[in-house]
Amino acid sequence: MAKSIEISDLDIYYGDFLAVQGVNMSIKARSVTAFIGPSGCGKSTVLRSLNRMHEVIPGARVEGKIAIAGQSLYDSAVDPVSVRRMIGMVFQRPNPFPTMSIYENVLAGNRLNSKKMKKSEADDIVERSLKGANLWNEVKDRLTKPGMGLSGGQQQRLCIARAIAVEPQVLLMDEPCSALDPISTSAIEDLIHELKSDYTIVIVTHNMQQAARVSDETGFFNLKAAGQPGHLVEFNSTQKMFANPDNEATEAYISGRFG
Amino acid sequence: MREAFHDQLDGIFADLSEICGQVEVAVREATKALMTGDVHTADQVISGDKAIDAARERVDDMAFALLSLQQPVAGDLRMIVSALRMVSELERMGDLSVHVAKIARLRVPAVAVPDELRPTMERMAATAEDMVRRVRDIIVDRDVEAAIELGRDDEVMDQLRRRSFTELLSTDWAHGVEAAVDIALLGRYYERIADHAVTVANRVVFVVTGEQPVRP
Repeated sequence: MAKSIEISDLDIYYGDFLAVQGVNMSIKARSVTAFIGPSGCGKSTVLRSLNRMHEVIPGARVEGKIAIAGQSLYDSAVDPVSVRRMIGMVFQRPNPFPTMSIYENVLAGNRLNSKKMKKSEADDIVERSLKGANLWNEVKDRLTKPGMGLSGGQQQRLCIARAIAVEPQVLLMDEPCSALDPISTSAIEDLIHELKSDYTIVIVTHNMQQAARVSDETGFFNLKAAGQPGHLVEFNSTQKMFANPDNEATEAYISGRFG
Repeated sequence: MREAFHDQLDGIFADLSEICGQVEVAVREATKALMTGDVHTADQVISGDKAIDAARERVDDMAFALLSLQQPVAGDLRMIVSALRMVSELERMGDLSVHVAKIARLRVPAVAVPDELRPTMERMAATAEDMVRRVRDIIVDRDVEAAIELGRDDEVMDQLRRRSFTELLSTDWAHGVEAAVDIALLGRYYERIADHAVTVANRVVFVVTGEQPVRP
């Protein structure tokens, strides 16, 4: 199910503004890759380019190549919607659909994809996804209640359940814990650890300890200077990054010493 | 905030070099007590070890506090973890000086080292003291080159140790079992001091480079 991602010579623009320049990396299947770096360095932009969410912004475009299991994402023949179906995304703020029940939230993606589902089939997907997101035991008796009635951490796990309900190849997470308390954060981190046996996971985080805890590989992005495009400074195993990084700028950033 | 942290980190290394200085004095004074049979000096070395133990505890506490409060990574993490190990090596070197002083005190008013063994034993003591002095500079300067060189020079100590054994085991040994045991132990103590010095130097290499030095 999980697939690897090859990024080569990736440049990302907002209109004329080159936001990210020359990114090359290969993201392994069934592993967690973390993107770290200061605000505005382009890590979320790179993440969003991985499921063609970037081009949703008017004037935004991408040059270079992103291939998932050898298939180029940006081929003219490729439908962006099918890309997003294959590559799920979880956002910073939990965003369950406010009018839907827990049950319907989980199924939202599947309902968009296919018109008809048997009740038993739908029940299976809901149970499997909520179990996959470690939420089943907490909500199984109130599936018809609104998703918004859950705690922040539960809402975020509901969003993860919704993302994995359509069985994507890749799961992108943009600061999934930054709005959560430490207990919910820990629950999400445990979940990420479990999910990586089935999914390729890419996570953007401002929390360095979180990157160190959950990821197998880490990419450090930075700006060359103010107004300059962001670029990938170092991409290495997380162990190496936090014990003995190759690049001095990486060391300065992760140690909290800047400049 | 981060600046205060880095000051504290540097402070730990300053403490290590200071402890190393105390060890250097301990080795020198223990040797003096040994070679002259001076009970007063021996006692000073033995009681002075308490200060080294206390300094070790201070480094331990500070390192633990920084680990728990600052979540150090990369070079900072290597520094703290290495400091914890270096400080126990240094403290052990202090203990070994105490062992030397205790042998000296045990034989007073006589001198534990027979005359013909003096040159070898003096060289061992001088080599140990020299290595402790050098390791202090290595800690202060984070000098990788000097650290690697120290590891190479440890061979001198090993040769001296072998020589002392040859002398000890020669057929014309005339000083009895007691003196033989003293010499064997003293040789062991000085050699161990040198070994610990090499280990401390290797930790400095790790702090600076992130790699363990390859053993020759």
